[in-house]
Amino acid sequence: MTAIAAPVDFVLPAELAAHEPPEERGLARDEVKLMVSRVAENEIFNTCFFHFPDYVSRGDVIVVNTSATINAAFNAGDVTLHLSTPLSETRWVVELRRNSRKGTAPLLDAEAGQLISLPGGASAYLLEPYQHYPRALSGVRLWVAELRLPTDALTYSNVYGAPIRYDYVPRSWPLSYYQTVFANEPGSAEMPSAGRAFTNDIVVRLTKKGVTIAPLVLHTGVSSLESGEAPYPERYRIPPGTARVVNAAREAGGRVIAVGTTVVRALETVASYDGFVNDGEGWTDLVITPERGVRAVDAILTGLHAPDASHLSMLEAFADADHLSLAYANALDEHYLWHEFGDLHLILP
Amino acid sequence: MKTARERTALITGASKGLGLALARGLARKGWNLILTARNADQLRNVRDELAQITHVAAIAGDINDPAHREALAVLSRGHAGLDLVINNAGALGPSPLPPLLDHPLDELSDVLASNVIAPLGIIQSVRRELKPGARIINVSSDAAVNAYPGWGGYGASKAALELASAVLAVENPELRVNWVDPGDMRTDMHQAAYPGEDISDRPLPEQRVPGFIALIEGDLPSGRYSISELLPAALEVA
Repeated sequence: MTAIAAPVDFVLPAELAAHEPPEERGLARDEVKLMVSRVAENEIFNTCFFHFPDYVSRGDVIVVNTSATINAAFNAGDVTLHLSTPLSETRWVVELRRNSRKGTAPLLDAEAGQLISLPGGASAYLLEPYQHYPRALSGVRLWVAELRLPTDALTYSNVYGAPIRYDYVPRSWPLSYYQTVFANEPGSAEMPSAGRAFTNDIVVRLTKKGVTIAPLVLHTGVSSLESGEAPYPERYRIPPGTARVVNAAREAGGRVIAVGTTVVRALETVASYDGFVNDGEGWTDLVITPERGVRAVDAILTGLHAPDASHLSMLEAFADADHLSLAYANALDEHYLWHEFGDLHLILP
Repeated sequence: MKTARERTALITGASKGLGLALARGLARKGWNLILTARNADQLRNVRDELAQITHVAAIAGDINDPAHREALAVLSRGHAGLDLVINNAGALGPSPLPPLLDHPLDELSDVLASNVIAPLGIIQSVRRELKPGARIINVSSDAAVNAYPGWGGYGASKAALELASAVLAVENPELRVNWVDPGDMRTDMHQAAYPGEDISDRPLPEQRVPGFIALIEGDLPSGRYSISELLPAALEVA
């Protein structure tokens, strides 16, 4: 995998990172800002996510990720260990970060054979650098580790872990702040955050409108906030019912709207060249680029992405770089907030 | 959606003989390859060799196994559509070739499965990955149209493959379906048809590749072709 060039270049002002959940800013979950792009007309609207149902039509399918977030961060003295992806019951891909007063920063000089002591008498034994990770940042950020836990990983994380957070979120929030209304199956190191703004009310309004909501699962690993690297493999599952609903909607001329980049990655992994969606499960290393394009997904609801994120390259499969530049300039002007507790962007064809 | 200029071919029976020669020939022409064969070790060697010059995905397995055909479909989904499918893998039957009245029927059944059912199964599995205008090449034999003693079982299977190909062609005008007689070649299969005999007068499969390339990279329509007829055209292009 190679680094992916971002189509939009900008510097994100620190005040435009969402520092806390919108609920702490006096907003309901569904009251975050929503930017709507209509790519064909090259138009951009600013609205509120509460009005999201106005932008979808009867016959559209909204596909959501039902993976639930786990407490994947563990304090281990002067370092923090993030669980990213399980390779087996006890073997995980982990990220090590150095604790500082401000938060954590990647720790790149760990060595194979190192034993990290974790709370509750647990430990992580570093086996080898994670093979799928390119040698970015001249060091190793992701490791394959053998975990020695007093219990299974999920129970252990419930007791001793906390949600992963980065510097721009100065304090810890309970796991419930990191669950979407769709969350059903624990397994994500980080919240599939595009679904965070959905509320029961929004879901009911969508349903009344004749819009179908279909689930899939993609368990996220730790995000790649530090560099322009490509994402590594993640686990996915597309139920047969979702494949059927998506194919039927496409057949009838409805749009397939993906809630988040994780849904795009999973759906496109099982999409045939002609756009037919298959069911299935496995690991995906698919990276959506403008060259790859999208086959089955027509529109995406997503957060605002950092300038060096590979996700921006995925967005170019939905909108050309000129439109994205316009949209991101608008988002900066209108003080949209970035990251998992931030605002949203709906990109329609 | 932007279309990639990349061309991708799926080849069965790619670890030796004609399949390997075609894989090498297409790799040199810059084609991406999805390869399969039963022998995992041989296939791995082919992959390692060709990965030096192009993008190769290889998965070992039996084309008679529906799960393996599905695995090939999954592998194909990772590519920007298929431009070419070469159904090259096939079965000869007993060696030496028996007269039809002595042909063990269970082995005839295997030959029909490998040479008719499996190639159709491959096409069914990847049907949604085929680009408009994609070419399907079903490797046949002159034993499909001529009556040679001993070649009745194999020939009947290839005759069935040819008719199935012809029907596929009329049912799918957006595809180019070719059923192709490559001519005799110095391969393991040909040797098995003539055990103990010297077949060194037969041409190597590599010598047939230019004819196949002329068909693959040209714009000939669906139909039956004999590589020996295509070779002069190939020489002209070269």
